[in-house]
Amino acid sequence: MKQRIALILLVLLCIGNVQAQKYITKNGHIRFFSGTPVEDIEADNRQVNCALDQQTGDFVFKVLMKSFQFEKALMQEHFNENYVESDKFPNATFNGKVKNINTIDFGKNGIYNAVIEGDLTIKGITKKVSEKGTFEVKEGKVTGKSTFNVLLADYGIKIPNTVASNISKSIRIDVDVNLEKLAK
Amino acid sequence: MKRKLFIIGGSLAGLGLIAGLIVYFFVFNKPHRNFAEATPDYDIKAAALFEEFRTNPELSSSKYNGKVLSVTGELNAVEQTDSLTIAVFGFEEGVFGSEGIRCTMIPELAGDVVKIAPGTVVSLKGLCAGYNDTDVILENCSLEK
Repeated sequence: MKQRIALILLVLLCIGNVQAQKYITKNGHIRFFSGTPVEDIEADNRQVNCALDQQTGDFVFKVLMKSFQFEKALMQEHFNENYVESDKFPNATFNGKVKNINTIDFGKNGIYNAVIEGDLTIKGITKKVSEKGTFEVKEGKVTGKSTFNVLLADYGIKIPNTVASNISKSIRIDVDVNLEKLAK
Repeated sequence: MKRKLFIIGGSLAGLGLIAGLIVYFFVFNKPHRNFAEATPDYDIKAAALFEEFRTNPELSSSKYNGKVLSVTGELNAVEQTDSLTIAVFGFEEGVFGSEGIRCTMIPELAGDVVKIAPGTVVSLKGLCAGYNDTDVILENCSLEK
């Protein structure tokens, strides 16, 4: 009986340790790019929250929309006020999983392909997404990268006819997060 | 008569050109605001600001977002990435680590905070971008004192 209790305690202790293996950053980088023959528009957000649970594969992003920085002040105003309505919908989120988390060896340097699935919420509208990316493990740090496209219409972002030729209907999103092990 | 029409036409074209240039330079290409020179809309203690956002994010967002804040508190850390320097007032631990107020420094003025030791009381001024459920984010920050 005592052995059984000791075993259970040991298992619980191990689970606790494994669950604590989270990688996080608050300085993740997301860039979006709209390319048309008329003009290219891009913006960077370098204050992205991201957390990855090495055990469960849970992968979470939180993106404050007003932290996107544009080259032109007017574009930034239009983006926040007219297109994504940042006051009403301040954050975009992704809640999902790295489907093949078990194939990533966090103890061994290397670049690992990943399949990420989950719910992407922009402007209050949630869509299921499935995208490919990579995780590079190097000296205990993990860099996650992915590039994918988002259709503005999917998230209720309407572009006025007057500037329809300036803004692409499909926006390229580049994700680059340098994750560090969460200190206990 | 022809000369008069020519002068009127030329004048209108000139005015149109000037109007176009004004719109181009002062509307389409208007510069970003210089927040280092801006007068703060609010002077507030860091702990009080974080508590306001944590307890009532919607009300605080409508009050502070888009406003220039001067925030005073004990500096916890200064984080440096490839392109950013972020001064941090931290108050509690959460899913993403320390939670509090994160102030992204204006790159040219970032050197002012890098040399400040953690624990020092400082006042930072910047534009409140909002709350992401873990931190209050201030952009375009500069050291006041």
